Amino acid sequence: MHTKKLTWPNSAWAILYKDLLCEFRTRYALGTLTMFTLVTLSGISMTLAGAAISSSIAAMLLWIILFFCAMAGLARTFVYEQEAGTLFTLRLYANGQAVLAGKLLFNILLLQLVTALLIPLFLIFLNIEVHLWGQLVYVLFFGTVGVAAVATLTAFMVSCTNAKGSLFTVITFPLLLPQFLTAIAATEQILTDMIPSWNECFFLAGYDATVIAAASLLFDYLWYD
Amino acid sequence: MLNHRISNIITALAAVGVIYAVFFIVPPVEGLGEKVRIVFFHIPAAWISVMAFVLSALWALRYLNTHQIEYDRKSATAAGLGFFFCLLATISGALFAKITWGAYWNWDPRQTTIFILLLLYGASFALRTAIHDIDQRAKISSAYSLLSIVVMPFLVFVIPRYYSSLHPSPVINSAAKIAMDPVMLYTLIAALLVASALFRQLFIYYIERTRRRDLAQKDSPEGGGRL
Repeated sequence: MHTKKLTWPNSAWAILYKDLLCEFRTRYALGTLTMFTLVTLSGISMTLAGAAISSSIAAMLLWIILFFCAMAGLARTFVYEQEAGTLFTLRLYANGQAVLAGKLLFNILLLQLVTALLIPLFLIFLNIEVHLWGQLVYVLFFGTVGVAAVATLTAFMVSCTNAKGSLFTVITFPLLLPQFLTAIAATEQILTDMIPSWNECFFLAGYDATVIAAASLLFDYLWYD
Repeated sequence: MLNHRISNIITALAAVGVIYAVFFIVPPVEGLGEKVRIVFFHIPAAWISVMAFVLSALWALRYLNTHQIEYDRKSATAAGLGFFFCLLATISGALFAKITWGAYWNWDPRQTTIFILLLLYGASFALRTAIHDIDQRAKISSAYSLLSIVVMPFLVFVIPRYYSSLHPSPVINSAAKIAMDPVMLYTLIAALLVASALFRQLFIYYIERTRRRDLAQKDSPEGGGRL
């Protein structure tokens, strides 16, 4: 029997490919998250009934939708493995860092896709005009990467507990608050046609780098018994 | 045990001394009057809540490196006491805010920071109670505690930028000058020392109690799967 030992990046790629394939077959996470954004957004838009809202409220609503959307779907990456009984197999075959990288990339891709679907609808439903597209894409990208990084680690923590759904939001929210507040402030500036300061841009990227490094350092402690 | 009792007595006497100083020696302050006395309970409570948070993370790191359950016990006890002092700091701060600013809560940067600290403490307890296996619980709670302390400096940096503050400057301000009456300053230092001693005594008491309970559960016929 031919056996081939996968290198670390190949293992991470294989895990990402497996998750994408599972998602493509079931379309569970993407379907749920898309419907979640649609339901929330239509609820807000119907309540407003065409009334104009300030940039600060719009920025806050956008990030609240994104946050709860992430909370509705990102825990699944590990909880699904736990429920299907495949987490143990994954432990046998893959290196901890490769699992983290694969799952993190999957969560980042999923959240980016949902953001790409949400933004046009958000702008249409709430009648908002954006002129600083480059800055908006930067803030959305780095903001959601931070959400995905924290959520991937907390999703693994939650998969080992007895209270999966509600606990995920409870333990993730306080950790995400610095990124959340900065992203809201930067988005508010973009929606009022002001370019966010370098401090905010560095902060968003710095937070992402720090939490990814911390997740990488801590994940091996959790992954190996 | 005898040493612990002697330390208890010394701490209790020191606490009585500080309470006496706060109510009978410290002079009323212009503008705040007698209400300034809340500060001598509020600042030590806030100090202990932050110190306990850091200690809890340090013991969490030691647990992850050694896998000795004793460090997880210390981490959990420090977090439990930290939560209690954090609650005291939040309540005393809200009372002081009502007296001086006219509202219990206005999302001042320091109120926001202490609130997030409460959320982090609360979240770590929720996580801890949701895991039954002792080793698994210790491992996951330690990782969460360390992740929280990594994020905390970002909060300290970000929150003062987005919320305007009415909170008085720290005792030792950015110009490295101590802006406080000497009697008040010495009383505050004494209050901080007594609060730290109180934390130590409570910490030793709870650690001992948890250790005894764990041993009793281990010796019981069921064997004990949870704390």
